[in-house]
Amino acid sequence: MNYMPGTASLIQDIDRRACWLLPGCGEQPGAAASRPSSGFPVAGEKHLVLLRDGRTLIGYLRSIDQFANLVLHQTVERIHVGKKYGDIPRGIFVVRGENVVLLGEIDLEKESDTPLQQVSIEEILEEQRVEQQAKQESEKLKVQALKERGLSVPRADTLDEY
Amino acid sequence: MFRYQSLEDCPLDEDEDAFQTLGEEDEDIDQFNDDTFGAGAVDDDWQEAHERLAELEDKPAAARELEDGTVSDEMDLLGHHEENLAERLSKLVIENELEDPAIMQAVQTQPSMLGDPPYSPLQQPGGLNSSIWDGSEVLRRIRGPLLTQEVPSVSVLEYALPQKPPQAQEDERDLSERALPRRSSSPVIGSPPVRAVPIGTPPKQAAMPNFNQQILCPKPVHIRAPMQQRYPAPYGERMSPNQLCSVPNSSLLGHPFPPSVTPVFTHLQRAQLLGGAQAGRMSPSQFARVSGLVGSPLASMNPKLLQGRVGQMVPPASGFRAFFGAPPAPHPSQQQHPPGPGSHLQNIRPHPQMFRPDTTHLHPQHRRLLHQRQQQNRNQHRSLNGSAGDRGSHRSSHQEQLRKDPYANLMLQREKDWVSKIQMMQLQSTDPYLDDFYYQNYFQKLEKVSAADELHGDGPKKERTKLITPQVAKLEHAYKPVQFEGSLGKLTVSSVNNPRKMIDAVVTSRSEDDETKEKQVRDKRRQTLVTIEKTYSLLLDVEDYERRYLLSLEGERPALMEERKQKICSMYDNVRGKTLGQERPSDDHFVQIMCIRKGKRMVARILPFLSTEQAADILMATARNLPFLIKKDAQDEVLLCLLRPFSLVLYHLPSGMVTSLLQQLANLPQSATAPAPANLHLAAVLQNKFGLSLLYLVLSRGEELQSSHAATELMQDNQWTELMFTATRELLRIPQAALAKPVSTPSNLLSLFSRYVDQQKLNVLETKLQLVQGIR
Repeated sequence: MNYMPGTASLIQDIDRRACWLLPGCGEQPGAAASRPSSGFPVAGEKHLVLLRDGRTLIGYLRSIDQFANLVLHQTVERIHVGKKYGDIPRGIFVVRGENVVLLGEIDLEKESDTPLQQVSIEEILEEQRVEQQAKQESEKLKVQALKERGLSVPRADTLDEY
Repeated sequence: MFRYQSLEDCPLDEDEDAFQTLGEEDEDIDQFNDDTFGAGAVDDDWQEAHERLAELEDKPAAARELEDGTVSDEMDLLGHHEENLAERLSKLVIENELEDPAIMQAVQTQPSMLGDPPYSPLQQPGGLNSSIWDGSEVLRRIRGPLLTQEVPSVSVLEYALPQKPPQAQEDERDLSERALPRRSSSPVIGSPPVRAVPIGTPPKQAAMPNFNQQILCPKPVHIRAPMQQRYPAPYGERMSPNQLCSVPNSSLLGHPFPPSVTPVFTHLQRAQLLGGAQAGRMSPSQFARVSGLVGSPLASMNPKLLQGRVGQMVPPASGFRAFFGAPPAPHPSQQQHPPGPGSHLQNIRPHPQMFRPDTTHLHPQHRRLLHQRQQQNRNQHRSLNGSAGDRGSHRSSHQEQLRKDPYANLMLQREKDWVSKIQMMQLQSTDPYLDDFYYQNYFQKLEKVSAADELHGDGPKKERTKLITPQVAKLEHAYKPVQFEGSLGKLTVSSVNNPRKMIDAVVTSRSEDDETKEKQVRDKRRQTLVTIEKTYSLLLDVEDYERRYLLSLEGERPALMEERKQKICSMYDNVRGKTLGQERPSDDHFVQIMCIRKGKRMVARILPFLSTEQAADILMATARNLPFLIKKDAQDEVLLCLLRPFSLVLYHLPSGMVTSLLQQLANLPQSATAPAPANLHLAAVLQNKFGLSLLYLVLSRGEELQSSHAATELMQDNQWTELMFTATRELLRIPQAALAKPVSTPSNLLSLFSRYVDQQKLNVLETKLQLVQGIR
């Protein structure tokens, strides 16, 4: 299967069903088979975006440009802690391209069989808070230990920490 | 004929007579000559004007209905008489002023403009007119479009526009539609004019070079968006841009899309645009229709443009084909003939009616979907003939799904193609090997590997995902800076294509006596650096010859070989320090080069290309100066890169050479003199990784030679024996801690040493040098 360069490869995903009906769309005949053939209407294809600050967004990709600026529709922010995850509905997202780390299409069939367990929002936020706390404490201990030995860890880049 | 630099120049009060005389030529106009619109009418009675206009309106409308819309009275009035136009223009100018001075009409055209095919005026459809100025203004505009040829700002000019014939029909429709009550969505009043091109975008091309008329009023307040005869309707009846994208052979694809235009509009913006934004700028959707660069003519253009490569293009890239076809095509012709393609194409393929009048009552959204579905049906017919036959089968099932997803197609096909086009354009290159060297190499390697795999294992061919790259070669466009016709002097526009010179740097050459010692030293180093760079480029060329050889024709090959040889020679000369008529007295030049890290690497790369003597020469020079080089290399530690090529050279060296090489390493003069208690040269060599490794290599080679020939010169050569004694002595003497760790210890050293030292010493050497493999 051949792919297009850059963000153009995702252009086809945007209105997958609708898109390839129109002339000039880059859909390969082969790819048509890979789509869910269940027959019930699927509104476009869901995409998963990983942002630079570590957030994971899942939504329907509506628009993309050459900088990978995205417009996500019915976006859900998914927080993962351990084996659990929780979804926070966010609505419409417009993401500036420079903050996108990676972006990919979600295979709807595979989406359902994950070993992960979905929990409520409050629970996952609580879990996340606990995890952050634990991390911070261990970090503090580490810095302390290093300081005792006369070493120091350089300050991490504030932009890309997660 | 009647040319006005600015409205102030318009002879308002003078030349009434002129108007009079002109007016007599045309009876219709005569009615409105001086009495109502002429300069004589001091009384600004717009209501009266309105009524007269209304009368006039009926007349042409009736006439047109009779004549089936191709030629109307108005057209008669307008088209064939250029002189009339002149007077009408002048009148219009005046009447504009009188009617509403606030509204400046950029009336700039000459009468000749009409007859000038390349130029298409912008039309002002009533529909797109702002609803603010309803009434007389609008009604006057009925005639207005016919008379006025307004030239908008440069940016909007880019869009090819239709000409007169469409004009007529369009006006007819204008009139008929204006009879209907104006529909709904008035634009956001007071909002800034929506620009098709973002503010600050430099115009894509020179403002139409054939655009002879002066710009009377560069302020484009009232730009009437051009309307083709097909889509003059106000918002409700017009096809939404979403529908436009579904238009087969959409002109959008083929249009020379100015990169500056941002096609991504929100729905609100689109509504504004279509709803008759007051500025009435052409939205991309409109100009796209207007330009009329439709697909089928493009198909005919394409073979010419794309030189037959297009056929190989996969259907997915068909959109891009159109893109790539379009920019080169109109581009050269664009200068002289902007709507040339447009008009020509119009003749070829009359655009099918995209919207049906009987759907006007539907909600725009509904109509949009309806047309989409129609479009799909059309596509179905088309694509069944097309390449992907299985598309049709899915179509019906997906149509329903389409309906259920109201957010689909937020991004127009045109926009998608635009983004894809940008990405593809970045990959275009005239010489991929030059522009994208690493990618090409990487993929060649991959393919070799996969080909090799295929040969061995005959499993199913693994489909490697390949990047779709544009098949069209990039055409180099010479950048032409923006020029305005008729302006005195040139614009000082600095853009990314023609950057302005910011700093005036002057190169001053220093005089000789000014230089101090340090400067001389510095210059010398610079000289060396320059030499290295020159030699490096020669080296890269030489390395590339193999590829060129494969690509070249038979006849060219000898020439290539010759070139290559020459380059190699000059490389050697550069490295060694070209001395004319001298016996290469000094290694100085070479040593200088070798002191620089890049120089060492370069020498390592050059060695394979040199002849044996040349390579040996270099080897000698290196050995001779090894301690110095070692000292200099202490920081870089790059000498090791030379080991491999050196060993390759060594392999070819005869024994005499090897001996002298060893001599160089040991730094013993030719004639054996009393050996110094400590051979500093050799000691230094031994203490360095590279030096020791090199020594080992030399020794190993010697051993090979010795063992291979029963009676060799080596054995008979006293020198070699002497040297061996020296070497072993030194090796024994040097403390183990000082000994460097060689890259590799050749296995035949033991046998070598056994010839020259007794058993005891041999054992010592053995342990010291770890000659036996098991120890390590």
